[in-house]
Amino acid sequence: MVVAITVLAYVFIPYGYNNQFLLFNMMMYMALAQGLNIIYGYTGYLPFGYVGFFGAGAYGSALVIIYLHWSPFPAVLLGGLAAVLVGMLLIPLFRLSGAYFSIANLAAAEALYYIIANPHLASVTQGPYGISLPQVYDPNAAYWTMLAILVFALILSGLMRRSRFGLALGAIRENPVSAEMAGVNVVRSRAIAWLLSAFIAGVSGAAFGWYISVFYPETVFSLSITVFAIVFVLFGGSGTLLGPLVGTLVLYGAYNYIGISTPQYFQLTYGLLIILLVLFLPSGLTSLLRKRGIDVP
Amino acid sequence: MMKHIASFLLVLFIPALALGTPAKAPGAIRIGALYASSGPFASSSLPQYHGLQFWVNQVNKSGGVLVKAYGKRIPIKLIAYDNQSKTSLAGTLYSQLLTRDKVNMLVADFGSVLTSVAVPLARVHRTLLFDVTGTSARFFTPGNPYIVLTSLPTSGIWPTTLANFLIHRKIRRIALLYSTNDFDDSQAKTLRRKLKAAGITPVYDHGVPSNTSSYAVLIHGIAARRAEAVIELGYPNNDIAFLQDLKASGVHFNLVFTVFPGQLLSLMKKNVGDKVLTWTYTYPTPPLLKHRRINYGPTLADFISSYTRDTRREVNFLTIAGYNAGLIIQKTLETSASLKPLAMRRAIGKFSGRIKTLNGLFKVNTEGAQIGETLPVGQLQRVNGKLRMEVVYPLKVKTAEARYPAPRPTH
Repeated sequence: MVVAITVLAYVFIPYGYNNQFLLFNMMMYMALAQGLNIIYGYTGYLPFGYVGFFGAGAYGSALVIIYLHWSPFPAVLLGGLAAVLVGMLLIPLFRLSGAYFSIANLAAAEALYYIIANPHLASVTQGPYGISLPQVYDPNAAYWTMLAILVFALILSGLMRRSRFGLALGAIRENPVSAEMAGVNVVRSRAIAWLLSAFIAGVSGAAFGWYISVFYPETVFSLSITVFAIVFVLFGGSGTLLGPLVGTLVLYGAYNYIGISTPQYFQLTYGLLIILLVLFLPSGLTSLLRKRGIDVP
Repeated sequence: MMKHIASFLLVLFIPALALGTPAKAPGAIRIGALYASSGPFASSSLPQYHGLQFWVNQVNKSGGVLVKAYGKRIPIKLIAYDNQSKTSLAGTLYSQLLTRDKVNMLVADFGSVLTSVAVPLARVHRTLLFDVTGTSARFFTPGNPYIVLTSLPTSGIWPTTLANFLIHRKIRRIALLYSTNDFDDSQAKTLRRKLKAAGITPVYDHGVPSNTSSYAVLIHGIAARRAEAVIELGYPNNDIAFLQDLKASGVHFNLVFTVFPGQLLSLMKKNVGDKVLTWTYTYPTPPLLKHRRINYGPTLADFISSYTRDTRREVNFLTIAGYNAGLIIQKTLETSASLKPLAMRRAIGKFSGRIKTLNGLFKVNTEGAQIGETLPVGQLQRVNGKLRMEVVYPLKVKTAEARYPAPRPTH
């Protein structure tokens, strides 16, 4: 039902509200929040460098479009695979935990940014001079692709939550040692969740790059992308399907509403919202429903 | 019979009435713009926005802008949003201006990064984009008639006069240090190509990331190559860090060139001081460069006087760039037969090369890139104990002789 409502909303809203860029970004952050939810909400690992996968996807897809003349759809999928490849390289980071994992992950994303933006690699990555994709520019097709990615992320997240695999991840989140002793293959389950999460960020980054068609390394490796995704998950409620959706809808909606109507109060209002969340709703908006005994999907 | 006559008259006159009635004029011309009140682009974006805002206020005080399409004066409504220097938010806000606010035209925010998101959006929504300072050559393509660069030539053209000056002075040991971004790299490429054509190969040629904040090691590296001239191409933060480190190192070069003392002199003075700026070469731009024979808009002196009186703000190049974008819009509306973007673009093509504002000659090529202005070479010289910008090349516009080699600073 959540998936159906989301699809209907993004199919029909453009007929009444035509700021497609805003709707695209909203879908993108919803997909990223779900991707982050898979690794953070279900296993408890918080990757500060989640944007690294997003950037890897944007560049992976753009480079095959430029050099191999791929059409955008397979290129978006390849962007996801590029992020999975980066995710595989980073699997050893799971030897760390808590803040150490988060910081190491952030450093890895920064390293990736500097590799991509290195002027000596300009012949391969276009370096700091940015990517331009006028040959495939098609914002409508990119919009529907982003909707498909969001649907995929929602179905995946929903299935994981209800499945045996999702329960195994929940056990890892609570106590990895006990989970291991109960027969859960911690290393394999965590790696699968990590790579699925990376894939969602990668395809989202690829679709974003296609949608805007001109971007620089700092655009797709901007730390604010990770920060937004984390805040949206926390605000809505991690470990649920609905939480990241509601979090993105409310906070990203407020972000744009305030930014457009009263930009002078932007930082103040947004800061207050987050302080109130931390003080009174540390488990997110969906915890309000759970406290009343309502099952939140 | 009467019924038939009435029908005949109606058939005869209705088309005539329809043809004779001018289209209803809008209550205001809606111009969409973005600015950054925070983040890395704020110090450049705000003066540019204030310049545009000042033009809107001036025009509205006189009853609006004359719109040829309606044969009357119509006020301007400026709709502007704050993008906080974030490209993703800028995209949403440009889209808001195009789709929700239905602006007649867009004015891009400062620089190539914040302009980049506007270029495809303006094209897909068939709205004319007035690009003020986004000088990346990538924006100007043959298939896109929806962009016009108003204030500066594309960055690749900038060092043309500088290269000629170096060749003219027979300076052969040249160090080229540039930030690796679109803006500076395109300048470095042009300079390298022109010097090579004159048989000069830089003794030092090195790109550094745009966020470089320490130049000490690089300066000593350049000194080790016994360079006579150092050309440092960067953003304001790079120029500041470079000049600060040059001062701290005690190393002296016969010629030092940086980009932004000619655009943001107050900012540079505040950060590096007069002493290190003395004898530095740069591209002088208005208000440090005074264009003569202006045939459209106020003179530089009049603009400075009215702007400082009304806003209590200081004028720098970006203020003039923002104001100049307003003047180009004004001329477009005065000469375009309709408000349709392609009609406005055609009108721009017609007055291109014919108007000279306080910002210099406005001339664009078929792709909308500015080619009218050339940036001379200036040197900040000390005259009667005060720092003064003098144009030293080309010879026909020079206001003073270049002091070369630059005198060693006295401690």
